[in-house]
Amino acid sequence: MIPRADLPALLALLLLSVLPAAAAAPPPLPPAASRTVDFVGDIQPIFTKHCLGCHGPDKQRSSYRLDAKAIAFRGGESGHPAILPGHSADSPLLLMVAHQVPDLLMPPKGEPLSVAEVSTLRAWIDQGAPWPDSASVRLDAANSWWSLRPIANLTPPAVEGVSHPVDRFVRDRLARERLVPSPEADRRTLIRRLSFDLLGLPPTPAEVDAFVRDARPDAYEHLVDRLLASPHYGERWARHWLDVVHYGDTHGYDKDKPRPHAWPYRDYVIRSFNADKPYSRFVQEQLAGDAFFPDTAEGIEALGFISAGPWDFIGHEELPETKTDGKIARHLDRDDMVANTMGTFVSLTVHCAQCHDHKFDPIPQEDYYRLQAVFAAVDRTERQYYREPDLNRKRSELEARSRQWQRDQRALEEKVTLHGGDALKEVREQLASAEKSARDGRPAAYGFHSGIATREDESRWVQVDLGESRPLSEITLLPCHDDFNGIGAGFGFPRRFRIEASDDPAFDGQVTLLADRTAADVPNPGLEPVALPFATVRARYVRVTATRLAPRQNDFIFALAELEARSQPGGTNVARGASVTSLDSVEAPERWQRVNLTDGKAPRTAPDPAELERLRQRRDAILAERVPAEVRDGLTRAGTELEATRKSLEALPKPLTTFVGAVHYGRGNFRGTGPDEGRPRPIPLLSRGDVNKPGRPVSPGALRCVTASTPFPPAEEASESARRIALAQWILDPQNPLSWRSIVNRAWQQRFGRGLVDTPNDFGKMGGLPSHPELLDWLAREFRDGAQSFKQLDRLLVTSATYRQVSHRAESSDRDADNRLLWRMNPRRLDAESVRDAILAVSGKLDPTPFGPGFQDFVIEKPEHSPHYQYHLHDPEDPRSHRRSVYRFLVRSQQEPFMVALDCADPSMRVDRRNETLTPLQALAMLNSRLTVAMAQHFAQRVKAECSDSAETQVAHAFRHALQREPEAEERARLTAYTQQHGLAATCRVLLNLNEFVFVD
Amino acid sequence: MPPQSPFHRGAAPALTSRREFLWRSGGGLGGIALAHLLGSESLRAASGAPLRLGTHHAPRAKRVVQLFMAGGASHIDLFDHKPELVKRHGQPSDFGEPVEAFQDGLGPWKAPVWPFRPYGQCGKLLAEPVAALGAVADELAFIHNVTSKSGVHSAGTLLQTTGFLLPGFPGSGCWVSYGLGTLNENLPTFVVLPDHRGFASNGSKNWDNAFLPGQHQGVMIYPGTDRPIAHLHPPAAPFLSEASEKESREILRSLNQQHARSRTDDPRLDARIRAYELAARMQLAAPEALDIAHEPAHILKLYGLDHGRSSFDKEINPLEETDYFSRKCLVARRLLERGVRYVQIWSGNDNGFPRRNWDSHEDIERDQGPLATGMARGAAALIQDLKQRGLLDDTLVIWSTEFGRMPSTQGGKGRDHNPYCFTTWMAGGGIRGGTTYGPSDEWAYKPADRKNPTQVYDIHATMLHLLGIDHTQLTFRHNGIDRRLTDVHGHVIRDLLA
Repeated sequence: MIPRADLPALLALLLLSVLPAAAAAPPPLPPAASRTVDFVGDIQPIFTKHCLGCHGPDKQRSSYRLDAKAIAFRGGESGHPAILPGHSADSPLLLMVAHQVPDLLMPPKGEPLSVAEVSTLRAWIDQGAPWPDSASVRLDAANSWWSLRPIANLTPPAVEGVSHPVDRFVRDRLARERLVPSPEADRRTLIRRLSFDLLGLPPTPAEVDAFVRDARPDAYEHLVDRLLASPHYGERWARHWLDVVHYGDTHGYDKDKPRPHAWPYRDYVIRSFNADKPYSRFVQEQLAGDAFFPDTAEGIEALGFISAGPWDFIGHEELPETKTDGKIARHLDRDDMVANTMGTFVSLTVHCAQCHDHKFDPIPQEDYYRLQAVFAAVDRTERQYYREPDLNRKRSELEARSRQWQRDQRALEEKVTLHGGDALKEVREQLASAEKSARDGRPAAYGFHSGIATREDESRWVQVDLGESRPLSEITLLPCHDDFNGIGAGFGFPRRFRIEASDDPAFDGQVTLLADRTAADVPNPGLEPVALPFATVRARYVRVTATRLAPRQNDFIFALAELEARSQPGGTNVARGASVTSLDSVEAPERWQRVNLTDGKAPRTAPDPAELERLRQRRDAILAERVPAEVRDGLTRAGTELEATRKSLEALPKPLTTFVGAVHYGRGNFRGTGPDEGRPRPIPLLSRGDVNKPGRPVSPGALRCVTASTPFPPAEEASESARRIALAQWILDPQNPLSWRSIVNRAWQQRFGRGLVDTPNDFGKMGGLPSHPELLDWLAREFRDGAQSFKQLDRLLVTSATYRQVSHRAESSDRDADNRLLWRMNPRRLDAESVRDAILAVSGKLDPTPFGPGFQDFVIEKPEHSPHYQYHLHDPEDPRSHRRSVYRFLVRSQQEPFMVALDCADPSMRVDRRNETLTPLQALAMLNSRLTVAMAQHFAQRVKAECSDSAETQVAHAFRHALQREPEAEERARLTAYTQQHGLAATCRVLLNLNEFVFVD
Repeated sequence: MPPQSPFHRGAAPALTSRREFLWRSGGGLGGIALAHLLGSESLRAASGAPLRLGTHHAPRAKRVVQLFMAGGASHIDLFDHKPELVKRHGQPSDFGEPVEAFQDGLGPWKAPVWPFRPYGQCGKLLAEPVAALGAVADELAFIHNVTSKSGVHSAGTLLQTTGFLLPGFPGSGCWVSYGLGTLNENLPTFVVLPDHRGFASNGSKNWDNAFLPGQHQGVMIYPGTDRPIAHLHPPAAPFLSEASEKESREILRSLNQQHARSRTDDPRLDARIRAYELAARMQLAAPEALDIAHEPAHILKLYGLDHGRSSFDKEINPLEETDYFSRKCLVARRLLERGVRYVQIWSGNDNGFPRRNWDSHEDIERDQGPLATGMARGAAALIQDLKQRGLLDDTLVIWSTEFGRMPSTQGGKGRDHNPYCFTTWMAGGGIRGGTTYGPSDEWAYKPADRKNPTQVYDIHATMLHLLGIDHTQLTFRHNGIDRRLTDVHGHVIRDLLA
């Protein structure tokens, strides 16, 4: 019950959109009708008539709706109940429609409820507010969907003679279905299965022998513990995690540029699994490690989760947010973060609610945008850091201080600019240009650059439009500087040219020749301006035509830094800012583009020190005269402080770099939220997902269909990181039923080949149902309430008799041909990485070195624009590429053909479960890839080195390496004959292609 | 139709765990083919007859060849004639509304670079570089009001090739392969002939199978090179010979069969044995299919491949472009004849310099002249060749590009992107030739009827319709969503149907 006194405050919360107040005192509250009221006959028509327009299927103002039973009772955004059965006079809904609350008169527009209607409504509430489920939209049925229900508290059923809890659940079910479990597999099968499952690698023949001979009763448990302690355990788990979060080492999309600092996240994941990090910490670090564990290296590297997916370089850096395509790129970028987070941690497809409420799951569109608001301040960016927390602390303090002084400086600069006016602007520009030249010794202003010609006698022109016909008597051409091909000063300056003027942009009509240098080659002027005076003419357009182009590198071009036009020598440059057209242009902003020709910037030769001094004096004089002293002093101070901060930063050791989701400080056309001190961008609800139809802004939040008590801070108070913290807490809330089921299901899939729910990224209505719901809940609860340890969970799963069963039985069951109930173990085809790693391992070439930048199994051609990743140019003998596949450099646009043929994960999409195909292309890859052919030879060499006996013994030895068993007599005979005919390498290639090599029983 | 080919879905597994097998080979059961497979189990078991894959209605076409112009072909300069631009050439452009261009700075109106002349009985106006298409003008159906959702190459290309703006979705050919299966036993179902100079935007994301099973991926073929198909043959190695290869195949089969004998409950083991046998067949079939050396002289002439040159000028030129594009068209015909279901030919690479694609920001004439001349020669020859072999009736030809170009200049001789309006054309199986559909406005800047543009979804829906598929019914469940090539959009363009 709510005390009456609190009601107004509560009602204000209930509806966030506060409506204009009516000053009148509340009318008397009509009494409840005395008859028995029927919901469908009496109440629903009232809702339909007065309420559903704003609180129904189409609109849900304040997230409240009166066509869905659960929400109608539960209330809107406030979370306070709107209907209190049996207590009409305390029910906010009734008080509002009865106009008892002056600020909240419902309905706000249109006809108010009549006294009779209010009486009827009161009676209904007082009679217990009976509302048949059949009269509610399906929405609230969602709360009964299996994955949203609280995790059940169960004890494993008692099964005679079975003590392992997993087996008790599985066997109980098998017994009920009258299915018979299978016997335990032999030791060779078990160690092969366990090694591939837990490490992704085959056991060595020695390991197999040791295990087979181990007479201890707990030999199996010892083996499990040894494997769980292996550093390869984390590599194996990490590969799956990286599939789920769609980790890649390039950006994807158009140019697919490398992302050279993504790998610290990959290493973070491997280290986390090896260290058996509790799952809560693993989640906290990936969503908000910077805030939960400030200054730790892992807290920074883990944010690579947010940035793991593809990133549209063109859409961000070349297109500003003012353009539709720029808006779409940013919207899709956040969408990827939301989909990745929710798919990974809670196994829901929230991104389906981008354009409309989710069609199948209880996710309103607003919830989707609330989640976008969580990520509204972060972008994909590089971040510098150290392994040592102290250094990170120091560095972030200095960076913060530096940003603060920069802000102060900008504010003061604005004042200076205001006071200094045009005179200051001009002298500053001159000074900046002169200082830059003096500092660099090499000038670096940009220019116009024609298209590239193959012959020097092709002509190229560029022209300026002065806006109107003007008197002209001098044109000055300022040359470019570019180090390309060692050319430097005078880059692209034409050897022969002419300058013409006309009032016709096409230069078809009257054309006046202003300067003609077409008869003989002009010496390259270096960086000296070429001033060309002539008798005054009037014209609007000035065109420079190069008739003999400048050589570049086996080709020819025409480039100019600046074209100046004056009505008299020494006068104002009237071409400044003029629009520029040209026959062609390479247009490679900002370095080369037409507009550079009239931007007032050109490289100069190193300026005379006296000239520099004169400019400085002139600037200082203007400052002293026009700018107040306190502004100048403040600026000096800011400059000194910034310089000091810069020096302190420089004095720190060289930092590491990683690619993460974090506040971006801008680059190219892209402006992150850094300049706004990381203030989150406002996130509006987009009508039909259209970026050009923004609706009301939404506050950060998560899914309201999930019972979790974690509150989100209100939008205006929520700092950037507070939002991510809140989301992590919501995910890890013990009451959140999705998170815990999601993660144990992924672990189950890794061990049994198929999840208890076979759609690990979707626990919604389009996903699968759990085959063993009780077992899933029991595991989720154990995991949540225990140490949240992956190693303990894995130990539990693989020590079960269920896991240790044989995978093939002579008599199969028609009742459960799919083996959903696990009456046998699932035989599995190895994933692409395990196949590749196994080939390297048995060939004796696997380099187990962990961590660090990914190795490249390709050669990059044309890296400057769109890199071409040429896999066929890679040398399979390159030892750098003999490391485990998890350390491959993962290209998004084009994947390695061998790995693709074996169904490796596509880093452009979130992969919760590998496809498994058996195609002719896969057969060709296994037979003919240069990797297989090269490794077959190494395999043979290794076998020969280890056993120099007959072909027959060598065959048996190779067999043990590849398949961990002795060959049968027939196998041995056939392969020996083949070896004698074609050599051991050919036999090794056959072994690598056997079904038994790629399947695990 | 031939029996269900393992190129399409792996070998036929044992009935008992067929459902399991299908589940493992790729998730959901939304495709008509998969649904059909499952539905046919009892039927097949009873009769022992090979499976026939179903369609939703009688198809008009069995195969598709798609020609894709990467970078943005100029509808204005090639196909969509606008007299108003000729009249206003050089005048300051006025679109009557603010225009959001990709690169800023739209210049004056620009007339089409080349003159247009009428062709065929339909009198379709075509520009000089694509004059070769005049010979088949009455086979072509033009759509002049296609709009995109993006003016960015990457997203625009993905939208055309996969129906989505972001990577991670199957190419259109993958969907066709998934829906209809294969027509042959020895070659892939979906073949891609990329531009030999490099990939266009997104690389293989334009034809990857994404979440569909791997056998539906577009298989890249580079005809006339040392390695036309990845892994088709082993690299040279001292221990490899024809004899060792032959014997290794036999040993593999025999040892694999022995291994499978104690594991009869796993159909994948037999499927993999079959895959190796088919791989061997493909090693024989593919080189033959790609070899054009024995094509008769009149065919080489038709495709413009009788020039006798083996090297070309450094500057972009029509002869070289004809050679490259036509060669791919001729190979495409050979592949289609041999039962490849979907062939995609690419013209244009990424945006390197010198430019070898259709993204003519600098100079329409310099680039699109040679590119269009080569494309038109190859495309016209392909259509004529298919027709004379009776294949055009059930082969759908689709010409597309990611967007068009602006009716104004960018200050020089080039044009900026125009995602608001551009041209696609189709021909062949089930298409009403000589059609011009969906006019653009007087500048070819936007559709004449802005409220009813044609979207790529409509083109995909029409393509699937002609193949006998209801585009709303060809689905695959991935991460909780029943995905379609047409997302939640798409209408069959009835006016184009014969």
